[in-house]
Amino acid sequence: MKPWRYPARWALFKMDDRLLLMFIGAIVGTCSGIAALALNHSLHFLLEALSHWRQHWWAFVLPAAGAALSSLFLEKIVKEGAGHGVPEVIYSVSRYGGLIRLRSAFSRLISSCLTIGSGGSAGPEAPVVMSGSAIGSNIARFFSLNDRQRVTLVGCGAAGAISSIFNAPISGIVFTIEVILGEWTALNIIPIAIAAVAGTEISRALQGDQIVFSPQVFDIGMGDIFASIGLAVFTAIASIALTHGLRSMHQISGKVKAPLWIRAGIGGSCVGIIGLFLPVVLGEGYHFVHTMIEGNFTPGLAFVAVACMAKILATSLTLGWGGSGGIFAPCLVIGSLTGLTYHRMLSAIWPSVNWVNEGCYALLGMAGLISGMLQAPLTGIFLIVEITGGYAVILPLIIVSAISATLCHYIEPSSFYLKELVDRGHLLRPGTDARVLSDLSIKELLETDCVCVNQNMPIREFIKIVENSRRNYFPVEDDATGEFVGMLHLDDIRPYLFNRMLYDAVLVGQIMNPNVETVLPDDDLTEILHKMDSQRLFSIPVVVNNRFVGMISKATLLDKYRKELMVQTTS
Amino acid sequence: MKLTIDEVAECLDVPSSTVERWIRQGRIPVSKSSGACFFQKSILYVWAKKHNLPFTLPEEKITQIDEKKSDSLCNVMSFGGVYHNIRGNNVDEVLASSVKNIAFLDEDGQQMLLTKLLEREEMASTGIGKGIAIPHPRMPMDETMEEPVITTCFLEHPVDFNAVDGLAVFVLFILLSPSVKIHLYLLSKLAFCARDASFVEFLKQGPDEKALLERVERLEKSL
Repeated sequence: MKPWRYPARWALFKMDDRLLLMFIGAIVGTCSGIAALALNHSLHFLLEALSHWRQHWWAFVLPAAGAALSSLFLEKIVKEGAGHGVPEVIYSVSRYGGLIRLRSAFSRLISSCLTIGSGGSAGPEAPVVMSGSAIGSNIARFFSLNDRQRVTLVGCGAAGAISSIFNAPISGIVFTIEVILGEWTALNIIPIAIAAVAGTEISRALQGDQIVFSPQVFDIGMGDIFASIGLAVFTAIASIALTHGLRSMHQISGKVKAPLWIRAGIGGSCVGIIGLFLPVVLGEGYHFVHTMIEGNFTPGLAFVAVACMAKILATSLTLGWGGSGGIFAPCLVIGSLTGLTYHRMLSAIWPSVNWVNEGCYALLGMAGLISGMLQAPLTGIFLIVEITGGYAVILPLIIVSAISATLCHYIEPSSFYLKELVDRGHLLRPGTDARVLSDLSIKELLETDCVCVNQNMPIREFIKIVENSRRNYFPVEDDATGEFVGMLHLDDIRPYLFNRMLYDAVLVGQIMNPNVETVLPDDDLTEILHKMDSQRLFSIPVVVNNRFVGMISKATLLDKYRKELMVQTTS
Repeated sequence: MKLTIDEVAECLDVPSSTVERWIRQGRIPVSKSSGACFFQKSILYVWAKKHNLPFTLPEEKITQIDEKKSDSLCNVMSFGGVYHNIRGNNVDEVLASSVKNIAFLDEDGQQMLLTKLLEREEMASTGIGKGIAIPHPRMPMDETMEEPVITTCFLEHPVDFNAVDGLAVFVLFILLSPSVKIHLYLLSKLAFCARDASFVEFLKQGPDEKALLERVERLEKSL
């Protein structure tokens, strides 16, 4: 046994396992930061390498080829599903204590690099979150840490990745807490913060301390604050349009009977065709966001509005048809286009009012779209403040983020990341009912102190058994085969109890209830409870292969449920 | 003090599989050495207190349960002794002369016990039928008493005891116990013996102590 593989036993960490998490959190943050930088740099490289081909008319095959290759890679080589990976991370955190396969640490990086580098409309952020999380999970597994520590390290990975790719530590922390973990405890916040710092530091060390979008000075008046309310409505509409676009494209592509990579290719070529006319839709699109924030985006209102819709369409086509990548970057592009559209509309309607620079509206639009899509207003606010280096816009930023998130929540109760999980009932946030129920297994709740009786037993014998038993329920078995045939409740023998004449005349099999609901030990506890509630049952027998193995009762469940809740919530 | 998984499960009153899951999920403080898990009692105690969980060590539990199975009927009867030819023509007289045989009480104690027994008889007769009575005080004896005692008294003449079946009583089992629990436990055993018709016939012959205790021991085994 190698002692360095078990840091939990080092003298320093034996004192307090929080120190251990901070130490490993820094390692995880550094590694995932490096992964994020690797993706960023290979994207730039690929974009530049392909740039001189983009002038040709046949350039539309580039996104098609990229998307098809990335789909082939995911399906055939690493055998993973398409998509951006964030729901998978959340799912593994809520269901499997953060267990993620090692190959996930690089699979999404490569596939999204192919998709985005070739011009597909998607973002590199979700893939780096996935790979950062996978790095955290696998480091935790390497050091044999437990579930709680592993989940924290998965969060560290995600925080490190986001911090590194945006050079924005607070966004990394807030995104992880708000979206990935959904839990804010003193125990996990410190390692995550350290990982975010490590991720940011590695990014600054390797590519310099540069703010993603150059800071601008905005002079925001009262009118702009009120106008931002209207902008929030627009960003909410854009978010909903993007959500629906992604989902309907996914459904349409699901109906096409073709291999996955051909579908991805079809989506990619459509994006390529749009890109021939509107190059703004291609790739992650940060270059255009730059020009918009600086106020150098010249085209008029109509063009911007069309470009906004085209970007929504292109993103839906790329991701809905099987390309690989996230929605973060497209959200920023769509958001800034929405902000620009709104600003141009305002200027057209009230030309006399002295509105603030349109770059500011582009910023607000980005925050609104991030908050609306992820339904994570804090992430939207902090991300925009950090990547633009402008604290001055914080007031309208909060208003847009809050209103946009609220409106989107009103129309779409669960965010884009969580929708699928919520629909399948897989979203188990810490400290919730679903979480406690999913942790308790039937095996832990099983009561095995029931006394089995034969169905051919006369009541006289049964009463003797009752005398020495502690339970009100008696499972009835067939004497020859031992198979479970029904249940007998103490109430069932009450009418015969004081009539000694019947003691030998009535058999247990005659008074038992043969039609009992039974459950299997592998059944989901939520379903079992639903069954019990709908039939007003207080307890239910567990039967395997026609053999009685025990009872589940609500009394025991309450006892165990309460203990579980106490263990899970107080920390 | 080190505890194993099973002991901790016992202490917390949860299945071992729950404790194992808590270890896996990192919810419970555990130490590992050479592949085996163990718990420090003091750390675990603090943890349980922080989470409001009940935490009792198994030893404490065992002593609680032990109280019930104190003694067999046969032993308790041999403590009290068996006496024959108790004189008296009514309940008061019979009880008064029986109480004098209870050796471990001084005269004051015997007098006090007699008052308590008579009080109980006034509430309802302790004659349980078939000529048997089980006189006992309404409340358990005071704390000074540690072991239950049954004093068996065969009467000289059967006495009318206002028993449930109206039959005159020929034998008294004076039942003194330190707690209600033990009292009920012994009472149910006595009642079980009294249900046996052959045992009642046997009692009517007024057997000596040795024969009686042997018979009771045999009956007790069939219980």
